Amino acid sequence: MNKIETYLYTDWAALTAQDWGGMLLTIAVFIAMAIAFFYALRPKNAKMLEEQRMMPLRDE
Amino acid sequence: MDTVVKPQYNDGVIKAFALASIVFLVLGTIFGTYAASELAWPFLNFDIAEITFGRLRVIHTNAVIYAFGANVLMATGFYIVQRTSGRPLFSNALAWVQFVALQAGLLLAVISLALGMLQGKEYHELEWPLDLAVALVWVMFTFNFVMTIAMRDKEKVPHIYVANWFFLGMMIMITYLWVVNGLSVPVSLFRSYSMFGGVQDAMIQWWWGHNAVGFFLTAGFLGIMYYFVPKQAQRPIYSYRLSVVHFWALMFGYVWLGSHHLQYTALPDWVGSLGAVISLAMIIPSWGGALNGMLTLSGAWDRLRTDYILRFLIMSLAFYAMSTFEGPVMSAKTVNALSHYTDWTVGHVHSGALGWVAMVSIGAVYHMTMKLWKTEMYSMSLINFHFWLATIGTVFYIVGMWVSGIMQGLMWRAYDEYGTLAYTFAESVSAMHPYYAMRAVGGALFTLGAIIMLYNMVMTIRMAGSRQAAVAHA
Repeated sequence: MNKIETYLYTDWAALTAQDWGGMLLTIAVFIAMAIAFFYALRPKNAKMLEEQRMMPLRDE
Repeated sequence: MDTVVKPQYNDGVIKAFALASIVFLVLGTIFGTYAASELAWPFLNFDIAEITFGRLRVIHTNAVIYAFGANVLMATGFYIVQRTSGRPLFSNALAWVQFVALQAGLLLAVISLALGMLQGKEYHELEWPLDLAVALVWVMFTFNFVMTIAMRDKEKVPHIYVANWFFLGMMIMITYLWVVNGLSVPVSLFRSYSMFGGVQDAMIQWWWGHNAVGFFLTAGFLGIMYYFVPKQAQRPIYSYRLSVVHFWALMFGYVWLGSHHLQYTALPDWVGSLGAVISLAMIIPSWGGALNGMLTLSGAWDRLRTDYILRFLIMSLAFYAMSTFEGPVMSAKTVNALSHYTDWTVGHVHSGALGWVAMVSIGAVYHMTMKLWKTEMYSMSLINFHFWLATIGTVFYIVGMWVSGIMQGLMWRAYDEYGTLAYTFAESVSAMHPYYAMRAVGGALFTLGAIIMLYNMVMTIRMAGSRQAAVAHA
C-alpha cells in the first residue's frame, strides 16, 4: 500500500456498533445539510424566500 | 377609515426583562473589572474568601452570561416572536413566572458561588438544585416561545421569520447540551459529582462549553441581529437566502467544534484535528452572516453618522466577524500550541463577549426602550458617549490580552542553549502586570458605559411616565 492508501485504510471488521451509529449519523447529517443548502440556494426558491425580508418592517 | 386592528402585545414582561438585563450588565461588568483589578493589584482581595479571584471570576461569568445574557435573550425573544407572529404571547402569566424565577435563581446563584458551592465545570458551575432550576426556567421560555409561534394565524402569517429560527435552534440545543453536561450524582444538597470521568468528562465539558458560545452566545444573538438591524436601519436584510444558509451552516457545523479546546491532551489526536478543521470551515458562514447584516446598510451608510444605536449594531457585527476569524485560527494546532492556556484566549473571548454579544444587545435594548415606553431616549448624546466608551474599552481590553497572551506563550516555551526553560513562571506573571492594568482600564471604561446606559434608560422611563401622567391629567 502506498502512503495515501495506508492513511485511508480502515479496518471495517473492527468497527463497533457505536462506530457504525456515529458514522451513519454523520452521513445523515451531511445529507440533511446538503438538502438544506440546495433548498436555500435553488433559484426557483429565490423569490419565495426573499419576499420574507420585509417581515420585520411591517410588523408594527 | 383604518379597520386594521393591531394585536395587543404583552410588553410589560419585556420591559421587566430589558431593565433587569441592563442592571445585570452593570453588576456583571463591575464584578469582572474588580476581578481583573485583583490580578493586576492582588491586595484588592483583602483576604476575604468570597471576593477572591477564584470565586469572583465565576460570579462575573455567570452574571454576564446567565443574568445579562439570559435577560436580554428573553426580552428580545418575547419582543420578536410576538411581532413576527402577529399575536401576544401564548401565556403572559407564564412569562412573569419565568421572570421572577430567573431573578430569584440568579440571586441564589451569586450567594452559592460566593460561598464556593460549585461544580468544577466551566460555564456550568451551579450545583445541582440550581442547575435543575435553570433548566426549568429555560423550558418555560422555550414552551412559551414555541406555543406563541404555533398559535399564530397561519393564513395571515404563514412564514416563521428567520430570527425565530435562530432562537429555536438555541433553545433546542441548549436544553440538550445543558442536561447532558449536567448529568451528575448528588451526594448532598450542595455537592455532586459528574457522571463522566477522565477524558470523556473533558470532552463532554467542552462539547457543552463551546456550544454555550455557539448556541447561547451566538445563535440567540444572531436572532437579535436579524431582527433589530433591519428594524433600526429601516431596511430589509440584505439577503434572506443568505440568512437561511447561515442558519443551517451554524446548526450543522457548530456542534463539532468543542474538541478544539483539548488539543495536546489525552483526547485522541484526530478528534482535535476534526474540531480544528470544522472550526476553520465555520469562518465561511460566520462571515456570510456578518456581511449579510452589514450590507443591509448598503446605500445608507451615512446613517451611521447620526444613528448611534445603529452604530452599536454594526460595530457588533465587525467584532463578530473578527472573533469568528480569530477563534478558528486559534484552534489550528500550530497556533494553539502558542495560544492555549494564555491570556490570548481571554482576549478572544472578550472580543466576542464585549464587542459582539454586549454591543448587539445594547443596540437592541436601546431600540426596544423607545418602542416599549413609546418615547425618545432621554439623551442621544449619552448613547454616543456610551458607544465610544464601549468601543475604546473593548479595544483596550483585547489589545492588552493579545500582547500579554502572545508574550506569555513565547516566555513559557523559550529555551536556553542548554535546553532548560529561559524564564520561570513567576517571571512571566511579573511581565504581565502592565497588560493586566490595561485590561482593568478597558473593563472600567466598558463598565462606565454600562452605568451611563442604565442612567439614560431610567431617565427615559421616568420621562415617559411623567408624560403619560400629564396626558392622563389633561
